[in-house]
Amino acid sequence: MAEGVKPAVRLSGIAKSYGKVRALENLSFDVAAGRFFVLFGPSSVGKTTTLRTIAGLVKPDSGRLEIDGKDFTNEPIAGRGVSMVFQSFALYPHLTVFENLAYPLREEKVSSAEITKRVNETAAMLKLTHRLERKPNTLSGGEQQRVALGRSLVRHPKILLLDEPLTNLDAKLRHDMRAELKRLHRQFGMTIVYATPDELEALSMGEEIAVMRDGAVVQRGTPEELYERPANTYVAGKIGSPHMNMLKAKVGKDAKTFETPLGKMSPKVPRKTAAAGEAAIIGIRPSDIRLAAKGEKAIASKIHLLEPLGDITIVSVETGKEVLRMVLPEAKATSIKVGDPASIYIDPNDIHIFRAASGQVMT
Amino acid sequence: MATLAEKFGLRKASGVGEAGWGHTLIVALVSLIYFLPVLMIIFTAFKPSAQALSVPPTLSPTSLFGLIPDQFVFTPTLENFGQVFNRVMVSGSAAEPTGFDVFFFNSFFISSVSVLLALVIGTLASYGFSRYPLKGNDTYLFIILTTRMLPAIVVIIPIILMFRTVGLSGSYLGIIMLYTAFNLAFTIWMMKSFFDELSYDVEDAARIDGSSEIKVFMKICLPQVVAGLAATFVFGLILTWNEFLFALLLTGVDTRTVPVAMNQAVSSGGRGTDWTLLASIETLFLIPVFLVTFFLQNHLLRGVTFGTVKR
Repeated sequence: MAEGVKPAVRLSGIAKSYGKVRALENLSFDVAAGRFFVLFGPSSVGKTTTLRTIAGLVKPDSGRLEIDGKDFTNEPIAGRGVSMVFQSFALYPHLTVFENLAYPLREEKVSSAEITKRVNETAAMLKLTHRLERKPNTLSGGEQQRVALGRSLVRHPKILLLDEPLTNLDAKLRHDMRAELKRLHRQFGMTIVYATPDELEALSMGEEIAVMRDGAVVQRGTPEELYERPANTYVAGKIGSPHMNMLKAKVGKDAKTFETPLGKMSPKVPRKTAAAGEAAIIGIRPSDIRLAAKGEKAIASKIHLLEPLGDITIVSVETGKEVLRMVLPEAKATSIKVGDPASIYIDPNDIHIFRAASGQVMT
Repeated sequence: MATLAEKFGLRKASGVGEAGWGHTLIVALVSLIYFLPVLMIIFTAFKPSAQALSVPPTLSPTSLFGLIPDQFVFTPTLENFGQVFNRVMVSGSAAEPTGFDVFFFNSFFISSVSVLLALVIGTLASYGFSRYPLKGNDTYLFIILTTRMLPAIVVIIPIILMFRTVGLSGSYLGIIMLYTAFNLAFTIWMMKSFFDELSYDVEDAARIDGSSEIKVFMKICLPQVVAGLAATFVFGLILTWNEFLFALLLTGVDTRTVPVAMNQAVSSGGRGTDWTLLASIETLFLIPVFLVTFFLQNHLLRGVTFGTVKR
């Protein structure tokens, strides 16, 4: 574990099946105390089951769950110091906002004076003070979300689990809540495990991200690590917007050059495990493609499609049979039209190389 | 002032009185036709015997300031209601108690106890069926309903034999057990559908907040199905309160309920049917169910879980 920080949560070899459906398969990761940790992956890869396992709502078939170094695999839910915000908010519909926020404290047998104090503090922090007497169904989506968050925070949990908490909000609110969540994390310093299928949320909020696939973690690291050194084509395809260009290629006879549809490429750092003639996939970030300067080894191409996005424009260029996406700043993109010739430049040191058979990165 | 919809926490879209007068008038007319038999019974209860079967029929207790011709107007009286409880049985002798105070108590006692009992047991059972499904869950639910698939007259024969054998015939315990069992099928099916509708996430949230399973049921699930409890209670009560066949065959003199007693009161003595007496018993008999339904109707109309969980 980095910096010698004690893990707040550690899962080792967790497996869980529902009937014949395998939800989690040999899932292992740990989360350092105080970390904003993101579980990232499309729907039904097991993110929710993972959170529910940590919370204790799901008993794993095998494997071990530790919280603060203690084995909690088969312990009851209470006593874990874990709270959770559900995607559906899951507010208590028959209770007022005040009672919703007070509920976990009442279950902890906190004195009623203390309950009033803490509920009011939490409500003030989340700008809910004027809504305390209302029932959840009379609140807007954003307010319901804040009540759900408040109900989790009022307990001062050591570990906060967030299951796609922003999915049900509109775009503007989602943006505000991202900032709000980061602020709350800084303020309270609790460990957060945040599940999301949204790449932007994962990259902008996560201090560390675990990318999940089929019930297991395929790569974990900081957002920069995942972006710069994706371990396989799956991660490479999920992280980074617009998505990475992927091209079929072959390792050359010298096992150092790569024969690609864009010509031969020889990165400075050789891939030691590359075998001559092996099928490969090369990945090129759209941001690593630029218009060629004079004297550079340019690739001739034609403008295929322009997608202006305000300050940047996604430009698709056609070269041979391949279509590549690249990103140009607005200023450079205004002068070009579909069908124009363009010469582009790709630095061979920027390309990502994967094995075609396994999808794993070639080292 | 808050509108009715706001008061009940409903969204604006289903505002009250949004339909036009034309539609409202049609529905009012149909409702009146529905209500007409009940209205006739209530009016008859207040008529003197002589006017009960007169032709043309008397239709109104008042002339409405001369709007209604005199031959259609009856003179309201409360005498019939007195007759329900004390009546001259043999002409010439003094009035004697009819026992209807006991019959009303029996009806009240038997139906409320059995409906409440069925509600308690059935709610627990339906929660179990909904949240902790057995292997072959639906089979058991189906079996529970089979008792209600046959006409009561068919089911009653084995029940009479069993009750005779164990001596439950004519006792409070017997009829309460029978009604409870019959209401259970209905209660379990009704309440299960209400529990199935609830969001499981809400219960899981309570578990994470530290609630035990019993508290999840008592403090989270039960309050959300209050509307269902009220509806089930009212329907169960109406069915049980009006039940005739089982009561006829399985209650004794002391445990007789009003529907049975009513039948015997009006057809005894060979004097033909005493319509005003019948109508006044019926009117009195209507009041308790009417009141219960009236006071619970807010709950019947109200969806407690409306709009709290996004799906």
